[in-house]
Amino acid sequence: MSEGPNLGSLLAEHWHLARKLRSLEIHFAPERCKGLWQCYEVCPVGCWTPDYDVRCVVFRHGERCIACGACVLQCPERAIELR
Amino acid sequence: MATVFMKWLERRPADYDRGIRLLTLGRLEAMQHLIVEELVEQGMRVLEVGCGTGALTAAMAKAGANVSAIDISPGMLAEASRRIKKEDVEEHVDLQRMDAVMIDELFEPHSFDLIVSSLALSEMSERGRRYLLKSVRKLLTPDGKLAVLDEVRPTSGGSRLLFTLVRAPLQLLTWLLTRTTTHPLTNFEGVLTNSGFDWDLLSTEMAGSLRLYLATPVEQDESDRKPEMFRGRLNGARTLRTVLIDLWASLFRILPPYPQVKPGVYAVGEPGRDSPLLVTGNFELTVRRLVRAIEGELDAWILVVDSGGINVWCAAGGGFLTADKIIGALHISGLSEVLHHHALILPQLCANGVEGWRIREQTGWGVHWGPARAVDIPEYLARGRKKSDAMRWVTFPLRDRLEMTAVTLGFYALLILIPIAIFWRSIFWPTLIAMAALSAFYAVTLPWLPGRDGLAKSLPLALIALVGMLVYSTIWDPASIDVLFARAIGITALSVFIAAELQGMSPLMRGEQANWGWEAVIGGFLGLTYWLVPNLMGWR
Repeated sequence: MSEGPNLGSLLAEHWHLARKLRSLEIHFAPERCKGLWQCYEVCPVGCWTPDYDVRCVVFRHGERCIACGACVLQCPERAIELR
Repeated sequence: MATVFMKWLERRPADYDRGIRLLTLGRLEAMQHLIVEELVEQGMRVLEVGCGTGALTAAMAKAGANVSAIDISPGMLAEASRRIKKEDVEEHVDLQRMDAVMIDELFEPHSFDLIVSSLALSEMSERGRRYLLKSVRKLLTPDGKLAVLDEVRPTSGGSRLLFTLVRAPLQLLTWLLTRTTTHPLTNFEGVLTNSGFDWDLLSTEMAGSLRLYLATPVEQDESDRKPEMFRGRLNGARTLRTVLIDLWASLFRILPPYPQVKPGVYAVGEPGRDSPLLVTGNFELTVRRLVRAIEGELDAWILVVDSGGINVWCAAGGGFLTADKIIGALHISGLSEVLHHHALILPQLCANGVEGWRIREQTGWGVHWGPARAVDIPEYLARGRKKSDAMRWVTFPLRDRLEMTAVTLGFYALLILIPIAIFWRSIFWPTLIAMAALSAFYAVTLPWLPGRDGLAKSLPLALIALVGMLVYSTIWDPASIDVLFARAIGITALSVFIAAELQGMSPLMRGEQANWGWEAVIGGFLGLTYWLVPNLMGWR
């Protein structure tokens, strides 16, 4: 047989990744937030809302999250995690 | 030809001049003599780039010039130093070892009346040459001139062929002896013009392959300056080619090879030094949509970054479009020298794979997240790079749903219709029509069907489809119970596949890729039912 991943294991891996994607949740540490609004700028579904009074974002619409990871990546303060 | 042997000759600087004289049949000397006679005057400040053994250096100094001469080879410089002592022109010559591209670091601007290079530019890389010419512009006095004596690859077909034929064995020999090769100048005249020089051909020898150029810097219209990696102007015009590509992409977009645009800098309209800079991936449809969205609305630069020919969202998510790729593309683009501002506008939908803050840190450029859709760019810019929530949020409107329906149809045509056409021709047309009708119906009704993901929505879709099938079978095409059963199984299977897949084509999916597992289970179950029930009921 040929070496390397076969179609079966590739499909299985793909399936597990996709399933994991469904269970991921946003964990936000507001004390780290410096109000740069990057998560708000990039979120394509509107989970984040800026609170200009306290210079901190609010994770308001978690139900819309598609776990794309954009907010996690763009936060230079690493205040957001997806796990 | 000469430079091929030159590489070999370079190893023994003392014999260099004798070898060159032999190889150029003494013509090089005559041309160097012309430089001294025609161009050098008493008291002139001259820079010689690549002085070699210093023959021309000494001759120019003797004619009364103050010569700064540089070379990168210590052996050559030692030989030049000996010659200058012998000719007793030491006080008029300053020898330095350095790479030619460093002259702008080591000499003051406007410090030379004449810059000379003999058989040296052909030893440099194309990039090095362009850089050197830029530095020469800076170092020359307002009336200063550049004289280039070098080997040139002929441009006309016949002489080019002859040149190549004669040169090939010599090149091989040189490579065998020294593991190096030389590069006679190609299109040097174009490079001179592009680098901002007016030039004349003072003299040619050796059937036109040895040339002496005299170049003077021209006033460059700085407002019209193009960046280094400028590839041209883009427009959104429809041509036969774009129509064919769009047709292909509307059905088989997910199959490689993806239509691509060459990475680099492009202009839309007539951008100037203050025009905005938009970044995008190199999927041809992406670039075309961007161009069509802004064409006529604004003048802009577009930096097309290699994303493997994939749209920005998928490319960023899959690691094909990264911060480093954008940093690299920006670095070699030459844009920082052309633009007055340093502001990058990135597509919002590459934020899932491109760290904006890292680009900011490493390049010093401002990073701004543009709108999710290209059509909103003009308004986004008009508002001073501010987005409304509507510009930020991704939706899956009817137009996009229909477009993606075509893509899924193309995919299923390959997966389902081809096997059916081969093995089960009688149901080909009914399947095709059912598939197209179901897809279109699903695309239109998607937002109103209950359930969050496509698999859940496939249940109501299947029910509606079954009702539709029953109505059809009752009114137009009455059938026996076993045919009805077969139709029901088929229509249910199609509903599940179509519904589960289309949502996966939207940017709003979340792990819907896992649905294929369920699709397989449901498919298996339907197949089993299709085989089992007629046997149990005694229809066969």
